[in-house]
Amino acid sequence: MRARRLTASVAGLIVLTLTAAGCGLSGGDSEDGEATAGGCKVDQQNVGSGKLTGDVKGKITFQTTNLKKDFGDFFNGVIDAFEKKYPGTSVKWIDDPGDAKFSERNVANAQACELPDVINLNKVTATALTKAGYLLNLDEKDPEAGKPFVKAFWDSSTLKDPSGADIHSVLPWYTGGINLTYNTEMLEKAGIDPEKPPTTIFGLFEDYEKIAKSAKGKYFATMANPLWRIPADWQQMDIKVYSDDGKSFVFADDPRTTEWVAWMKKLYQGGAMPKDSLSSSDDPSTPYSNGQVAYGSTNPSFVRFVKQNSPSVYKKTGVGQYPFDKLGHTTGAPQYIGTAATSKNAPTALAFAKFLTNAENQTAWCKDPNVVIFPTTTESLDDPFFTTVKGNDPFAEARKVVAEQLKTATADEVVLSDPQRNAIVAEVQLAMQGKKSPAQAVKDAQEKANELLKQGG
Amino acid sequence: MVTQIAKPTAGPGTASSAVPGPARGRLRHLGRALRPGPTGDANGAALYRRWWLPWLWTLPAIVCAAGFGVFPFLNTLVLSFTDAKPLGGVAHFVGLSNYTRMLGDDDFWLATRNSLLYALIVVPLMVLLPLLLAVLVEKQLPGIGFFRSAFYTPVIASSVVVGLSWQWLLKDDGLINTWLEKAHLIRDAIPFLSDSWLILLSAMGLTLWKGLGWYMIFYLAALGNVSKDLHEAAAMDGAGPVRRFWHVTVPGVRQTMLLVGVLTGIGSLRVFTEIYMLGSPTGGPGGQARTLPFYIRDVGLDPLSGNAGYGAAVSVALFVLTLGLTLLAQRLTRGDEE
Repeated sequence: MRARRLTASVAGLIVLTLTAAGCGLSGGDSEDGEATAGGCKVDQQNVGSGKLTGDVKGKITFQTTNLKKDFGDFFNGVIDAFEKKYPGTSVKWIDDPGDAKFSERNVANAQACELPDVINLNKVTATALTKAGYLLNLDEKDPEAGKPFVKAFWDSSTLKDPSGADIHSVLPWYTGGINLTYNTEMLEKAGIDPEKPPTTIFGLFEDYEKIAKSAKGKYFATMANPLWRIPADWQQMDIKVYSDDGKSFVFADDPRTTEWVAWMKKLYQGGAMPKDSLSSSDDPSTPYSNGQVAYGSTNPSFVRFVKQNSPSVYKKTGVGQYPFDKLGHTTGAPQYIGTAATSKNAPTALAFAKFLTNAENQTAWCKDPNVVIFPTTTESLDDPFFTTVKGNDPFAEARKVVAEQLKTATADEVVLSDPQRNAIVAEVQLAMQGKKSPAQAVKDAQEKANELLKQGG
Repeated sequence: MVTQIAKPTAGPGTASSAVPGPARGRLRHLGRALRPGPTGDANGAALYRRWWLPWLWTLPAIVCAAGFGVFPFLNTLVLSFTDAKPLGGVAHFVGLSNYTRMLGDDDFWLATRNSLLYALIVVPLMVLLPLLLAVLVEKQLPGIGFFRSAFYTPVIASSVVVGLSWQWLLKDDGLINTWLEKAHLIRDAIPFLSDSWLILLSAMGLTLWKGLGWYMIFYLAALGNVSKDLHEAAAMDGAGPVRRFWHVTVPGVRQTMLLVGVLTGIGSLRVFTEIYMLGSPTGGPGGQARTLPFYIRDVGLDPLSGNAGYGAAVSVALFVLTLGLTLLAQRLTRGDEE
């Protein structure tokens, strides 16, 4: 009897669990007419049409990505200023390490309806959260939000909402730019003029080849892992990565993609890249500072790393414009600030997001002498600090290069999810090792990436 | 008072008859709940034989297990029949299509092969090596504490530090290749970090290195229970250290070996960090060193291109594999004992 009762209880528990699991899957709009965002019940005014109204007060959380260590004072200052400007508000700052599990943590937070109220995002995560409806639609909630920003950057924050419509769901924040950093001594030894950086990606590859020949295995031109170059190189070469409707990958249709892979194979097998860096997570920062590679990271702030860690290499360091190639300009990849649609205090969260990204705060932060970052507001970019860069040391040169490229840069970064990029990179790695022909690798890469694109819906 | 409590068979209310007022009512209620069963029991043990009492005592553990184990498992099972996305939204029932896709997916089979290989190589070594280590440091010698601590250090080392240290060891110009070259054992560097098989083997080495100290502690505890008399008797019969190890020590710690085998088996099938640290986000060149958890992350968890339904189906396959290996280990041990 007892056993039967216990069995019945267990069966009941299973049915309950399955039902609960089923409920968890349904998501979407609430059937009882309550407002929902990404499957979470939210305040009615956070979704749908109409401006966001309400008092700016109460507690909110603000998440940055790996900024606390270097910029703690700045952000504490911004938070203090906000709390002083809006009495009764309180901002709790959390700093995500920004490691390999960044996306997973944000997914888990979103699923649990606990996304931080204000969150620092890259374009990939912003795209995913907007697609699932977890971020405020700024076009509806604050139609004036885009006014302070440079048009290219504001345009770059246009993302697809759950219905597939284009909306602005994030505010552009700071942007880094891209440049070439190189060891002038190694370049000169290879017969390359450091003052005349190449203007095409293949031109850069030719220089890598020259360095490999002159180095004779003592050092290398750059690192091998194509992870750092896909899709940036292809976009710079104006290779179309997606079809017009964004529903499939088409990079394999352009013969230059295969040519690019063939170059990578030639460079890898020709000794221009360390063999063990093919699938290494290391970027060139440390090997460059140790004098093991001729070209450093393309992140302009990297120059600070060299200055601090290897003064002797810093003296030999030159900075040049990244090849504009066929695209004719660079593509900025700004960081963004999103406001969670699941926020229980959305007016305060939005007020803080706007406060953080306003011209005054962006200008103050981007003037930090230790980084090469640029603001995204029109007013900030008019500041003489960014228009007339002084000095001729590598750090100042990096600033000049980025300031120059930002005059024409767009911010229409190609968005690849991590698995899509990994799938493409994996095939290119096989081609570099000679286990596949470049043409076959490009074909297989497109096939695998399309499979992932299809399953993502 | 003691006499009163020791005589529960006197019937309800007896124990509380000396207690006045409302407290008596509460004690009467408790008394009814703990009333002995029909058999009666003079020593009061029957008080604790109510069928639901064990359930009551274990309720907190059951709630935790149900909330953090059973529910997620059942949810995964349900998800595996849907096309759910990691960030929610409407999920549709898709029948067995995730499973049929899985069976026809070369990448799934590659990851399964790698996971199984990992378990098959790591489990026997992880069962045996910490035992040898424990035997080595079991004796109370001067300074032995230092060695015990040294062997345990990798267990508490941060994964990031461990990953960087191993990369430094295994690079083409790393310590191992440099030593081998200087000893004229190799001419070209061994591609530990650019060959998928070697990445997999290096990751196994890392798992072993990190786990040795942990399981050594298990065995140290178990070795304390192996009778010294047996060792002495075997020694008197002329058994050397190796025979004593196989015929006295090993049978004495058999249950611990089974436990270590099962734990290591489960851990090996779930390995992710080691491959990630040595093979980057792609899981080695061409993704050829990816294991099942790696594959699940790639296909199921990404917010933009993940399919939680398919990821759940692969997770169920991983569960089946884990369960199979655990049962196999139990069966083999039972067979040995018989």
